[in-house]
Amino acid sequence: MTTERTVAIGSGAAELATEDMVLNIGPQHPATHGVLRLRLTLDGERITEVEPIVGYMHRGAEKLFEVRDYRQILVLANRHDWLSAFANELGVVLAVERLLDIEVPVRAVWTRMLLAELNRVLNHLMFLGSYPIELGAITPIFYAFREREALQQVMEEATGGRMHYMFNRVGGLRDDLPAGWLDRVRRAVAEVRAGTAQIENLIRGNEIFHARTRGVGVLAASVAAQYGVSGPIARASGLDFDLRRDEPYLAYDELDVPVVTRTAGDCLARFECLLDQVGVSLNLAETCADRLAALPPGPISVRTPKNLKVPEGHTYAWTENPLGVNGYYLVSRGERTPWRLKLRSASFNNIQVAPDLMRGALVADMIAILGSMFFVVGDIDK
Amino acid sequence: MRFYGKGILTGLAVTLRAMTRRAVTRQYPEVRPDLPPRSRGVIALLEENCTSCMLCARECPDWCIYIESHKETLPPATEGGRERSRNVLDRFAIDFSLCMYCGICIEVCPFDALFWTPEFEYAEHDIAELTHERDVLREWMWTVPPPPALDPGAERPKEVVDALRAAAEGRPA
Repeated sequence: MTTERTVAIGSGAAELATEDMVLNIGPQHPATHGVLRLRLTLDGERITEVEPIVGYMHRGAEKLFEVRDYRQILVLANRHDWLSAFANELGVVLAVERLLDIEVPVRAVWTRMLLAELNRVLNHLMFLGSYPIELGAITPIFYAFREREALQQVMEEATGGRMHYMFNRVGGLRDDLPAGWLDRVRRAVAEVRAGTAQIENLIRGNEIFHARTRGVGVLAASVAAQYGVSGPIARASGLDFDLRRDEPYLAYDELDVPVVTRTAGDCLARFECLLDQVGVSLNLAETCADRLAALPPGPISVRTPKNLKVPEGHTYAWTENPLGVNGYYLVSRGERTPWRLKLRSASFNNIQVAPDLMRGALVADMIAILGSMFFVVGDIDK
Repeated sequence: MRFYGKGILTGLAVTLRAMTRRAVTRQYPEVRPDLPPRSRGVIALLEENCTSCMLCARECPDWCIYIESHKETLPPATEGGRERSRNVLDRFAIDFSLCMYCGICIEVCPFDALFWTPEFEYAEHDIAELTHERDVLREWMWTVPPPPALDPGAERPKEVVDALRAAAEGRPA
């Protein structure tokens, strides 16, 4: 798709001695969504080498996990990827519940799935708004934030938080749902579905957007697999892998989870994967709401001891987070705190592949490629 | 047939349609937001209920609650009885510049002394002024909303179940 012309300036321009230039993008740069630093080596406009320098926002989450009890860990787990707070909490409690051998009430299971899907939509809407900004389209983010507001309102009504929900507890959920909440969820879902259609009309067929993204930053499926790339980015390359379908947790095995994939592997495919996943997640959320309404009355959590000690052992719980596979490897020695809680975050693996995509690209495409990696810096730096 | 520029025109049509609709902007200082009762705005303290047991301060993940207290001895209530000692709260402060708004303190409080309120207008110019003492925390108690009614599918609270059983058996609850 990209055509290139070499324009020689006067005679003898070809023999001009050139020198590579090192250019730092970040750590403070609007295109990096935070404090990610890229050290580019440029030959003219062309990138010859990229080195992502991570860790500016390292908060030592894994080490802090070791000195916090399981409820306090949820506070921290909420925050490494601040756009997928609910999904992060979920991974921790799933691991702990597995070691404790706790059966979670069915109401809690479906509520967790409903909230996880709403959280996925919230996350994706953020990137559907911010990615066009990086390419110069300012309008979509206003539409995205309008839709986010509708969802955040129902999330806040149930959990009390707009970003860090703190709603999961080992054994279930903190509180039961407020009366009439499920109807408001259905209304919000319908509203967001209509709003997302507008975002789609705004940007999906846009020729300028296509010119910036089609054929740019192509990620091959084999490379994605080698780097451990997951989530919508991997699926845009044709890696048909989604834990909700392939290794169902909660009650995803009772749902038919359509997995959105593309084969092109370019920036446009990644964006379209995200866009289509919003629709899928909204449908799943609606199904969950219907199932929840049909459930017989029952508890939302099981009682756990105040001084919660997890028996000795280890387990690995992974979940399909909005940005990819998020895993917690929990090793317990029978105490109130884990002996070790290893965090496998989606963005950390996903960003590793960025240099591969950027090598040989132009500086202007670097922004398009970086934006399409859909990462959260806190999730990279942990 | 698809012509070049159709995508841009579709986009512009969306913008045009949005232009004819009412704006979703909220006029915040003039119109106050309607926040749900569970909204985690700030933590209020009902100091009459506080026994300075320190559970909240110890369970706080980043230790942003400061409690100081002393013991007072009360004379025996009856002749020849034992002297009673009780804790008297001297200081209760929450540093909201550290607080992560997780709500663990409220959850662990065994005496219902801490509550969430949706109140949020307490920004300060200096970070040190975000440490609020017990008089401010007590004032926030007046803004604590009643909890929302629960979903019909929710388990009934223990008190309701007990009362219903008592009524069925024809004895006082």
